[in-house]
Amino acid sequence: MADYDVAIVGCGPAGMTAAIYAARANMKVLLLDKLAPGGQIVNTFEIGNYPGMEKVGGADLAISMFEHTQKLGVAFDYATVEEILDEGEEKTLSCKEGQRISCKAIILATGTRPRMLGVPHELDFAGSGISWCAVCDGANYRDRDVLVLGGGNSAVEESLYLAELARHLTVVTLFDLTADPSACDKLRALPNVDVHEFYDIKEFLPGEHFTGLRAVSTKTGEELVVHADGAFEYIGLQPTTESFGSLGILNDHGYILADREMKTARPGIFAAGDAIEKGLRQIVTAESDGAIAAESAARYVRALTR
Amino acid sequence: MAVTVKEMDGAELERLIETGAKVLADFYSKTCGPCKMLGFVLGDVAKEVDGVEIVKVCFEENPEAVKAHGVEGYPTMILFEGGAEKARLKGLQQKPLIVSTIAG
Repeated sequence: MADYDVAIVGCGPAGMTAAIYAARANMKVLLLDKLAPGGQIVNTFEIGNYPGMEKVGGADLAISMFEHTQKLGVAFDYATVEEILDEGEEKTLSCKEGQRISCKAIILATGTRPRMLGVPHELDFAGSGISWCAVCDGANYRDRDVLVLGGGNSAVEESLYLAELARHLTVVTLFDLTADPSACDKLRALPNVDVHEFYDIKEFLPGEHFTGLRAVSTKTGEELVVHADGAFEYIGLQPTTESFGSLGILNDHGYILADREMKTARPGIFAAGDAIEKGLRQIVTAESDGAIAAESAARYVRALTR
Repeated sequence: MAVTVKEMDGAELERLIETGAKVLADFYSKTCGPCKMLGFVLGDVAKEVDGVEIVKVCFEENPEAVKAHGVEGYPTMILFEGGAEKARLKGLQQKPLIVSTIAG
């Protein structure tokens, strides 16, 4: 007999919404996360587009959602799912921390994580010179020189935030600034900001402490060395789906393919949130996916036990 | 088993470290979401550990302590024992790892 009706992998907005809906559908639910409740929203200082809340802190919203799941009796465990064994009506999750969990249905809601540049010396300075969270580490660079790497919406929004703190901010991006044009114009107009477009970052400068980077122009071949006290990387996101490759449910970019009922190609395996192939990745769309996935999973489990 | 998570300033932290006690210091920033979530997780950790002082130190209000301990990103947890640093965890971490780090 399976340990749980529904096991949900990932405790972000999609996973927690799925847990709430599945628990209210009388399913025995387990919610798993390798780190902590919240997913990407804990990295957002303030959310301004969550209906009904003009402004809410990302971590506050995550804690509130998590407490809601706990009041409904959802089991929670810290686990990194390394493999899913799909044995038809029963499925087993094999976890790095040692747990082996059996269940009837699975909802994959593992979300995305920041993409890294993958250049020399990046790992040397990760967390001590290179950051992916301006609201966490920005205050460390008050009146100092910082770099922002990337040119999309996140890069430009976080640059505007950091420019208020930093003495000087340099943006280096492989293409041009692709964010909302008004935000780009605002950034370019700031007196303490330089923007270097069409530069391929080759390495972070080696040494005991972070001192900057070296890049090469993709248009002229000119080398650019920028010295700074720290860097913030915003070059996009990648799906956290590496453990599901053998299931045959991913597209070429690693996103999970799910239909309108959040079903994958594997019966009993559903998916929701930022990790699926879709257009708009927002908290509300993740929650919508989670609710639909939970309903579909509950229907699937009920059909098994009839 | 249970301990209480306490807020401390830099001077109080230094005095506590000097006693030789096992201390888990969480350096956090007020604007940092992962720090807030770590605070929530540490509340959970505190319910199942013993023999350790779990303290939170605000980065914005204690720049000297931040500098003295070389804290460069938030959140950063440092485990002290016998007056010296024994372990350092950077960023939000899962509860079992924090518990095992405290256990040594």
